[in-house]
Amino acid sequence: MTTPAIAIRNLSKVFPIPFKRERVVAVHDLSLEVAPGQVYGLLGPNGSGKSTTMKIVLGLISPSAGRTEIFGRNSQLVDSHEEVGFLPENPYFYKYLTGFETLKFYARLCGLSGQALRDKVGELLKLVRLEDARDRRLGGYSKGMLQRIGLAQALIQNPRLLVLDEPTAGVDPRGSAEIRDLIVACKERGITVLLCSHLLGQVQEICDRIGILDRGVLVREGKLEDLISIEDQTEMIFENAPPALLAEIGKLMAASYPEARLLEQKKPRTTLERYFLEVTYARPIPDGGSEST
Amino acid sequence: MIPAISEDAPAFPTAYPRHRFFSPARVRALAANTFTELVRLKIFYFLLIFALLLITSSAILIQLSFQDQFQMLKDVSLGAMSIFTSLLAILATAGLLPKDIEDRTLYTVLAKPVSRLEYLVGKLLGVYLLLLVSVVLMGILFFVMLSWRVHYVTSEIRAAGGSAEATQQQIDLLRATAYNPNLWSGGILIYVKACLLASATLFVSTFASSTIFTIIIMVAVYFIGNMQATARDYWQVPSIAGQAGWLIKAFLAFVSLVFPDLQAFNLLDEIVVGTSVGFWLLWKTVGLGVLYSLIYLSAAFFVFSDKEL
Ligand SMILES: Nc1ncnc2c1ncn2[C@@H]1O[C@H](COP(=O)(O)OP(=O)(O)OP(=O)(O)O)[C@@H](O)[C@H]1O
Ligand SMILES: [Mg+2]
Repeated sequence: MTTPAIAIRNLSKVFPIPFKRERVVAVHDLSLEVAPGQVYGLLGPNGSGKSTTMKIVLGLISPSAGRTEIFGRNSQLVDSHEEVGFLPENPYFYKYLTGFETLKFYARLCGLSGQALRDKVGELLKLVRLEDARDRRLGGYSKGMLQRIGLAQALIQNPRLLVLDEPTAGVDPRGSAEIRDLIVACKERGITVLLCSHLLGQVQEICDRIGILDRGVLVREGKLEDLISIEDQTEMIFENAPPALLAEIGKLMAASYPEARLLEQKKPRTTLERYFLEVTYARPIPDGGSEST
Repeated sequence: MIPAISEDAPAFPTAYPRHRFFSPARVRALAANTFTELVRLKIFYFLLIFALLLITSSAILIQLSFQDQFQMLKDVSLGAMSIFTSLLAILATAGLLPKDIEDRTLYTVLAKPVSRLEYLVGKLLGVYLLLLVSVVLMGILFFVMLSWRVHYVTSEIRAAGGSAEATQQQIDLLRATAYNPNLWSGGILIYVKACLLASATLFVSTFASSTIFTIIIMVAVYFIGNMQATARDYWQVPSIAGQAGWLIKAFLAFVSLVFPDLQAFNLLDEIVVGTSVGFWLLWKTVGLGVLYSLIYLSAAFFVFSDKEL
């Protein structure tokens, strides 16, 4: 058996509330494994313990009970971080640094230097479309730009595992579609991804496996297809189908397949997302206008 | 469009190079970053105030006899340098940790292969560098001021006339009082004291609930640290020590353990007067400062390594 990228065993986390007797149970007896190469979505309502779980997996806070591992190494130890890139939720970076300097700083922390460092930073700035803003201070970045620099920062040491806490929160649809594509591209390179997001549409598009947390308890876990496919239904979408054809199909169904039933027939609409992308980005960028978020 | 990811990314190595517990390169990156942060917060503007102080005071001092004049100028300058650097050390350090925690930049830093010790050392070295640059800049300002005064007074002596020999004697005396080599010792002590205060501030900020709290504590430490030697001396007078119960002794021992003896760094008075500070006394004091800094750093690491972020 291969070592799982992430192993969480009987993890619990209790936060004491200062000056009170009460305690908050953020995570309760959570066990799960993420296999290498998978994209795993951690879902759940606000306050269900997703971010807490991620922070424990990264060794930023210590568990009250249980144990977490990254590629077989205890994640409370610093050396396990060599292979992980992390994007926290609502990240803020050092406001007084430019985009370029920010990436340079994180690259240094990962042991890069010289030409290799400059190449990597340049490549990542291009990847997240922040080349134009590379010499601007982060204090002037918009939320989506911060999120993208955060993603670049997470990718800086070519990690084997990416942990993304709401990577598309506050990002516009195009940026969010790009981040989605980026995650898919990472997956194709064999990078394991653990993410949490409230945009279920996106999660559905990219995740292989999901776990649903509710008040710190893992209530469902499994392969996405198994969890949501409706085995006994089939969807068909026609183009230019005359009403006569549809009538004929109905007749055929009634005559030969009495057990089948037509549940719904409607004109599909384009998704709002697709429509939004069409009207905003199909437009050519006016001359001299710099591209920004 | 699927963005391309570079092809030259290494295939996953099967064995990773051993992680180094303490890497100078990472510490350097953290220190440089801290220094940049502080510089871009425009902290060096306080040097303008320092310069203003020097210029005003030397303008006032012109009325004094030249010996008194240089005495006062050195007194004021070194005193101001000492207070400014101490203040800078406390104020610059107090906000570093809370800000990183609040902005969650700490998460992104510690999620990299950076140990908490490296983080603390990096922050501290960044502040040390800032303090060094400030002391040097203030020293240069001070020196320029001093040379200008010396130049001015020299030309006055020359203009006054008198025998060539007497004039030369006067000028030599003037030079000797103005530039005494102990000023170097003064600069070093000011710097070491500030580094000590920065380390103590970092330690306090690992458990303090707010930046203001840290600053208040540190101002208290500053005053107690400056007074504790006096208190200790008082209780060591035999007639009084006889009356002091063990409680007071224990208390004083505790105070001198927790609060640095800042008075030890106040050799400035002697320096200004021109008494030479012995080589050993200087290095003993520097050693004391380094020792205190190390103790505070260890204490900071002890608290910070178990801190929930
Ligand atoms: N440092 C802390 N001290 C006390 N309680 C905390 C702390 N961090 C998190 N909690 C509590 O733990 C619970 C889980 O929080 P967590 O941030 O993990 O939720 P989440 O699933 O990420 O929510 P969201 O979708 O809003 O990001 C919450 O009830 C929260 O109040
Ligand atoms: Mg969260």
